[in-house]
Amino acid sequence: MVRRPLVTFQFGSRTLRAPADVPLTAAVVSRPWAPLGRSIRYHRPRAPFCGIGACTQCLVRVNGQPNVRGCQYVPSDGDRIETENAWPSVRWDVARALDLVFPHGVDTLRGFGRPLWARRLYQWVVRRLAGYGRPPARANAPARPAARSIATRVAIVGAGKAGMACARRLAALGVDDVSLIDSDRVVDRFPGTEVFARTRVVFLEPPDTPGGPFVLYADGPDGGIRLDAARVVIATGSYDANLWFADNDRPGVVTLAGALSVTPPDGHPPFHRALVVGDGARAKEAIDRFGASVAAVVAPGAISPEVVRAASDHGIDLYPRSLVVAARGFRRVRAVDLVRRGDGSPFRLAGDAVILAHRRLPNHPLLFQGGAKMRYGGPAGSYFPVLAPGGETSVSGLYAAGSVAGFADSEASGTAVAEAIGGGSAPALPPVPWDGVSGWEGYYRELLARPRSRAKWVACACEDVLLDELEAAHARGYRGIEVVKRYTGLGTGLCQGRYCVPEALLVLAGWEERRPEEVGYLTQRPPVFPTPLATWVGFSSAGSADRKAT
Amino acid sequence: MSRPTFARSTYDVVVVGAGIIGLYTAYRLARAGGVRVVAVDRGYLSNGASGRNGGGVRQQWMTPATIRLARESVEAYRRFPKEFGYNPWFRQSGYLFLADSAEALAQLDETQRRVAAEGLAARRLSPDEVRALLPDANLAGVTGGSYLATDGVLYPFPAVWGVYEAARARGAEIVLGHEFRGAAPTPDGAVRVVTSAGVVTTAHVVNAAGAWSADVARRAGLDLPNVAVRHEICATEPLKPFLDPMVVRASDGLYVSQTMRGELVGGLTMSHPPGLEPGARTSGAFFARYARALLGLFPQLGSLGILRAWAGYYDESPDGLPFLGPDPRAPWLVHANGLGGHGFMLAPAVGDRVARAVLGEPAADSAVYSLARWLAPEGRRPAERLTLG
Repeated sequence: MVRRPLVTFQFGSRTLRAPADVPLTAAVVSRPWAPLGRSIRYHRPRAPFCGIGACTQCLVRVNGQPNVRGCQYVPSDGDRIETENAWPSVRWDVARALDLVFPHGVDTLRGFGRPLWARRLYQWVVRRLAGYGRPPARANAPARPAARSIATRVAIVGAGKAGMACARRLAALGVDDVSLIDSDRVVDRFPGTEVFARTRVVFLEPPDTPGGPFVLYADGPDGGIRLDAARVVIATGSYDANLWFADNDRPGVVTLAGALSVTPPDGHPPFHRALVVGDGARAKEAIDRFGASVAAVVAPGAISPEVVRAASDHGIDLYPRSLVVAARGFRRVRAVDLVRRGDGSPFRLAGDAVILAHRRLPNHPLLFQGGAKMRYGGPAGSYFPVLAPGGETSVSGLYAAGSVAGFADSEASGTAVAEAIGGGSAPALPPVPWDGVSGWEGYYRELLARPRSRAKWVACACEDVLLDELEAAHARGYRGIEVVKRYTGLGTGLCQGRYCVPEALLVLAGWEERRPEEVGYLTQRPPVFPTPLATWVGFSSAGSADRKAT
Repeated sequence: MSRPTFARSTYDVVVVGAGIIGLYTAYRLARAGGVRVVAVDRGYLSNGASGRNGGGVRQQWMTPATIRLARESVEAYRRFPKEFGYNPWFRQSGYLFLADSAEALAQLDETQRRVAAEGLAARRLSPDEVRALLPDANLAGVTGGSYLATDGVLYPFPAVWGVYEAARARGAEIVLGHEFRGAAPTPDGAVRVVTSAGVVTTAHVVNAAGAWSADVARRAGLDLPNVAVRHEICATEPLKPFLDPMVVRASDGLYVSQTMRGELVGGLTMSHPPGLEPGARTSGAFFARYARALLGLFPQLGSLGILRAWAGYYDESPDGLPFLGPDPRAPWLVHANGLGGHGFMLAPAVGDRVARAVLGEPAADSAVYSLARWLAPEGRRPAERLTLG
């Protein structure tokens, strides 16, 4: 094993040493799922969940700056890292009492308005319970780097299989002046291609005039980057979906990406008896990575032969055709209650982690921002772009490739888009597998037809919105995701609805007795990820982004 | 959400627009008893400016009549939970206007005098007094301020649900997802209203269509000088409370407040050309300018993320004052529009005045807000100049 350099940093009152290249979540989750923070309304314990810097569950304060995503932050020597939104400590937070005293939640929509004399007190208390981090001190103003401004012929967003295949083929076709942007590292380089690693495209402006450039706003390691691109290829891939059940926000319930983010690259995971939810390629990845630390695989339907083979190699139990009903455990997950579909017989599995690897959803916000026509479908149940044969969306010059567009064969779709752009002998796009109907509507219909316990179903963990609140909105006659969002606050948190809207569409479709696309879609509110004010300021000096009003 | 089409073929009042202005008007008419009222909106509930505003409620205006409208509205929002059963979390922690030029300071002086003349305790603040209210802000260049402690911010959505449900409970119909296509008087004195849900007859049509008010007037055969102006707004990640009042800065129109759950919500003046576009777009230029303005005030917030941005349309009249009451050219058409970015904060009182106009009851200051001031230029009154925030 290679010995890596270590860094020393303060985490609360503890001094920790960790390898210099692992994110905070992998460095501190030594005790399984010790809470890193507390939720906004009920102060429920929060521990890493998504692993991609999108959710609210690993927010910490780093050197006086609030709301830093622990799964994206690699500690440096001498860092002072603190927990947020808890008193007196994140482990013993008194406000957790709210969670325990109000099992069905607190009605902030209708309650606390009366009597008039108590209102100021209510407001004082609620304001102090809500929010996440404390604002930074006046003296602690971060630098504001000016943004770079670049004009490029083709901007490829995402350097996964599809984006790389597209860049490779564009280089082979002699197309230069290509920009390849990825939120992570980018391994391969191609002639004529500039690479922007650890850079997130957060906002895409479609051309003002036909034939004008797209403008991409990106947040990179050294500040903002503005790219004016004649053509844009969206190859942003997909992410692990959420799953709703009772106490589904318990520490220890993680996506597969989240499980990977708490595991050192060549070390052991912080769990020993994980339950993997999933039936296909992603579940197999979980088994391949965590092997003997996986106790069982549960799936809503049949389990694929590749998963069955991998599981038998490690002696892992299989539970096909199961509904996940509840997580058990007060501070962290210790077991899961399930029900066999069909005969409805309940059973319980002990485990110290629940790994969600059951379905992947497309990272499609840039396609919505760009104005591409989208269509609902697919086994996972999501919106995908409607594409012309060369991979072009309904917006001229805007292309999509890979899993964000629903392709199983990402490389072939990336290559086909490059051919369409570079004028090669365009091979036909591979077929998209998303023309089918999702089984997940039926899953939730069956799950929610069952009596529910007193435990909270946390529909939106960013804002602590409960399934009960969605049900109340429905009972009062409010219909459609846009209105239910405004009624409950679902989808208005830091994850931008990634982990609640897809589930809400499936559940509301069942209640409203119509198709998910008729329930609607939340208008994508830019930016794609919360983006620092300091980065945005940089754009005010970058090219034509600065147009004074007066 | 409601019955998809009309329950009857004849109404006393058809309200076009089920935003907060149309809903309050419908509620107030239904409450009067014996009035058959229906509100028609082509969108879903809260899809226009009523679901897109920053929630500010202020009484500091330059027009005395508007100060009175605002004072009534503040009282209505205070009582809102009791009357409607929903809690919009109306938090009265003041509106603080910041001046950073001599002209702006003079304007705030004049505003403060007029507000005080209406019996409200508006205060002119020295830079030190401003600092006491905003201990965490960088106030370089601020020459003074104007502050009224009973102004505040609210959360718009519960107010929409509350008035919507109350209006329906009192017998008003709300038809959503259907469009108003036109209205014209018939020879027998009634008005024929054509919608995508069918044709009805009525005695009055209320134009409460917000940014679409000029379009609705045109469909009724009349012109209206209001224009739609796109306005962008955004929210940051939530922080623990550190900002109490709504802050509005004169020089760039920056306004920002911190919501109950900790987000900073605000925007500033942009120079978008007037006109409606399909969809209400956000722009990169807005992000950059807003970030610069906000960090000018709070430099320590550089690492704070902008969480989401959205846009909506102001319904702007030529002089910054709304049009309320019957159209002198066609008294069956009653205006409730031209409110700029201030419809939500004035809605309770506006709904009341408009309902009174429909019912033929006396309404205060009706001459100030009548469309007559635009039809007869010599009758024009001084414009409302404090339109920021």
